[in-house]
Amino acid sequence: MSWRLPKLVPRSAPIILLVLTLAAVTGFAAVGHLVARYNANQQSRGRKLYALGLTAAGAGRYDDAIAAFRAALTCDPANSQYQLSLARALRDSNDPRRLDEAESYLIALWQRAPQDAAVNLALARVAAHRGSIEDATRYYHNAMYGVWNSDPDSNRSRARIELIQFLLKKGAPASAESELMALSTSLPPDPPAHLEAAQLFTQAQDYSGALTQYREVLHLDPSNSSALAGAGEAAYNSGNYATAQHDLQAAVNADSQNANARQLLATTDLILRNNPFRSHISDVERNRRIAAAFAQAEKRLTECAQQTGLNLNATGVSPASPLATLQSRWMTTKPELDRLRSPAETDLPDTIMDVVFQIEQQTASVCGPPQGMDLALFLISQKREAAIQ
Amino acid sequence: MSDVVSTAGSPEPSPASSLRTTERLFSTLEGVFHEEVFFLILSVFIGIFSGLAVVCFRLAIDWMHLALLGPLPQTHSWRLFAVPSLAGLVVAVLVLHVFPTIRGSGVNQTKAALYIFNGFIPFRTAVGKFICAAIAIGSGQSLGPEDPSLQIGASIASALGRQLEISREKLRLMAPVGAAAGLAAAFNAPISAVLFVIEEVIGRWSAGILGSVVLSAVSSVVIVRWFLGSEPLFRIPVTTFKRPTELIAYAVLGIVGGLASVAFAKSIGYLRPLLKALPRWTQYFQPALAGLLIGLIAFLGAPQIMGAGYDSMDQAMHGQYAWKVLAILAVLKIAATTVSFVSGTPGGMFAPTLFIGAMLGGAVGDIERIFFPHLTGSTGTYVLVGMGVLFAGFLRVPMTSVFMVLEVSGNYEIIVPVIVANTFSYLVSRGLQNVPIFDLLTRQDGLILPSLEEEREEAILRVEDAMLPVPGTILRAEDYVDANARRIQDSTDATFLVRMHPSGWGTITREQLQRLFQEGKGELTLGSVLPPQTVPSLYPDLPLDSALRYVNNYALVPVVNRADYLHLEGVISRDSVFQKYGARSNRD
Repeated sequence: MSWRLPKLVPRSAPIILLVLTLAAVTGFAAVGHLVARYNANQQSRGRKLYALGLTAAGAGRYDDAIAAFRAALTCDPANSQYQLSLARALRDSNDPRRLDEAESYLIALWQRAPQDAAVNLALARVAAHRGSIEDATRYYHNAMYGVWNSDPDSNRSRARIELIQFLLKKGAPASAESELMALSTSLPPDPPAHLEAAQLFTQAQDYSGALTQYREVLHLDPSNSSALAGAGEAAYNSGNYATAQHDLQAAVNADSQNANARQLLATTDLILRNNPFRSHISDVERNRRIAAAFAQAEKRLTECAQQTGLNLNATGVSPASPLATLQSRWMTTKPELDRLRSPAETDLPDTIMDVVFQIEQQTASVCGPPQGMDLALFLISQKREAAIQ
Repeated sequence: MSDVVSTAGSPEPSPASSLRTTERLFSTLEGVFHEEVFFLILSVFIGIFSGLAVVCFRLAIDWMHLALLGPLPQTHSWRLFAVPSLAGLVVAVLVLHVFPTIRGSGVNQTKAALYIFNGFIPFRTAVGKFICAAIAIGSGQSLGPEDPSLQIGASIASALGRQLEISREKLRLMAPVGAAAGLAAAFNAPISAVLFVIEEVIGRWSAGILGSVVLSAVSSVVIVRWFLGSEPLFRIPVTTFKRPTELIAYAVLGIVGGLASVAFAKSIGYLRPLLKALPRWTQYFQPALAGLLIGLIAFLGAPQIMGAGYDSMDQAMHGQYAWKVLAILAVLKIAATTVSFVSGTPGGMFAPTLFIGAMLGGAVGDIERIFFPHLTGSTGTYVLVGMGVLFAGFLRVPMTSVFMVLEVSGNYEIIVPVIVANTFSYLVSRGLQNVPIFDLLTRQDGLILPSLEEEREEAILRVEDAMLPVPGTILRAEDYVDANARRIQDSTDATFLVRMHPSGWGTITREQLQRLFQEGKGELTLGSVLPPQTVPSLYPDLPLDSALRYVNNYALVPVVNRADYLHLEGVISRDSVFQKYGARSNRD
């Protein structure tokens, strides 16, 4: 079968081209109309499927969400919202094989809009899932400095906090700390925000930074018991026991049920009462504290030796045993206690306390964490070491 | 005052003079649009019309899929086997009663139009292919839209050529021009389409048609991108190739792909004639049974094999499937496509070939990484290379296969792995199956069409193959006739070459020289008595065919060096040329 147009016009090249052009324009318009209608239908279908996907994702049914988002994307392949949602569902489905696909969608979106903060944040989370510190940090930074559709300040802080948490989790406290510095300068005057920052400083073991943030909270909300307890704990961890005692006492007063604060307060009291190196105490008091610490060290040493099945008084104990060596040092040092009263013996307190500190540290490593007075002495030893260094 | 304005000063042109002006304009334009230019412009229009048709075709497939199978993927639903079976029945009735020429992929039919039917493809073929392929692919038959798009384009071009009553020579070329447009639009890849049409449809490189093919392919791609956007078929993951030693892994993929290609081609080559030989009434049920089988495979847990499968390829590229799943999908797709194709359902093999290659590539890559964990290529890289591997091995289009991967991925970093893997696949496939799949199908249909692969393998005879040694006696034009006559006394040759400085070479027979001597012209130089025109020279590397136009007119034709036309390499004669052709035909 062959269809042929009637010969209405002479078959000359210009006329043919004119007719072809008209036919092409007509075809173009017709197909354009068809495609527009098809696209409208597809977009409507896509929106319904997208809504289904969002519902499924919200309920944690990621497989259903992925199927719905995929179907939505077949209806509207260029829709970046659908792509972003699919990528998020793929990432959150806890299937490592799906991370590649999620990343691929996100990279495509990123190439189209590298300034889009939501895309960068999603990419950062993919990188975080993979454990890549370098990529995650880059994308989190892009998200922080990118364009947010709404509430940019809060979203930027959230992105930075997420990055800090990721860095802490990956054991990169130095990087986390520098992010925390940046975070602390951009926080709004909002107690929960400062409280969260303080907790992150604590996780990063930057207790002085944490203390500053807790102080900010207390400045805004003086009765905040969490901030009081946090400030006390931060001061305690940074070796600032006088401040710790003040804050912990206030925390216990504000919330008597706070067992952790009570325990820290008890230890702090012990430290402050027994630290022979504390300023503004008399020589008599200092000597008393040294003697008490020395006696406590001997007690701890004996208990620890018994715990490990070692009889320090028996003959034939290996002199190479660390506990035996310490007991020997303790015995050698004991007569020196009487010379503490002499004003000429300026180095003696340090010498005696050095034996005490060695015993507390060694027994802590052999027999486990100390308690009560031993814990106090152990912490004093740490503070002393830090001061010397 | 009169309301009539006088026009005496500026007379209005009369209708007759306007007509003459228009005629003159048309006459001038006619001169501009001579046939070659007109054909090039026509190629652009073919691309536009083919592009528009392919846009509609793709919408029709999508619409059909949504209407029949729904927007969400079905699992364990009765629709999975009911829809392709019923659609198969409808397609069979349409093919047997309304569109009998649309079975199969369409590539061979387009090639046959070029070589046998003077470019004639009925327009009904385009209509039938459009409708039936849309129903078949939309309902889940394991076939692709590319080959039908190629045939639709070719059919539109052929119809347009006939309508415009262009010359037979040009009409013959319309089909491949339209084919390139259709394929380029379907693949969104103009370079691959042009190469495929040249490798597989035209069967030889022809500068005369290349411009038209390129123009039509590019214009159709522009149309498709205008309407459907420029989104690629796949979202390409990060592909890497770091260490040259990893080429071994890709070579293994090439070998496995070659073997899979052979299995795929042989299963089609074996089953197709068997099914065609069955009674005619069975042809009503063959597409339906194929649909039922595919539906059952899908129902039992592998819905990925339905339709073209681009979504699944995309997911494989992003590591969504374990290697066992990938390997199973590759095997199932070979089975599904084989039954779909041999049942006579209209549809293409390009997409299934890509699917099988993708799954196989991913599976081989994952297995290799289990044994050699240091391999850096991602699953996506192997999937992408695997696509090209099957293209090279099954369709036997090595150049297209390389460019197709590059064009689809837009990544030139993997060109070396692609070339290595494709070469191995092609060699394995060619070694185990002499006849490429498209040639096999045409031969099963009783047609013999030229093949670029065969042409490539055919050794070309050159002038040097028929060349005789330099004759012992060479005469000089500047010597006297009597000196030359003395020189030939010891020779037994009948014809002698004369070196004619600076014009080249001439010939003279023994009789002519002796007659000149007897006529008393011995004191004249030979050059002064010879006719001025010289004998044409040949070069050793020229095809021997080029000597044929001279050996009848000249007893000896000099074969000279390209750097120095007076330096003789040898001579050829009619006998030496015919002897060489005779030896070749005896050997063949």
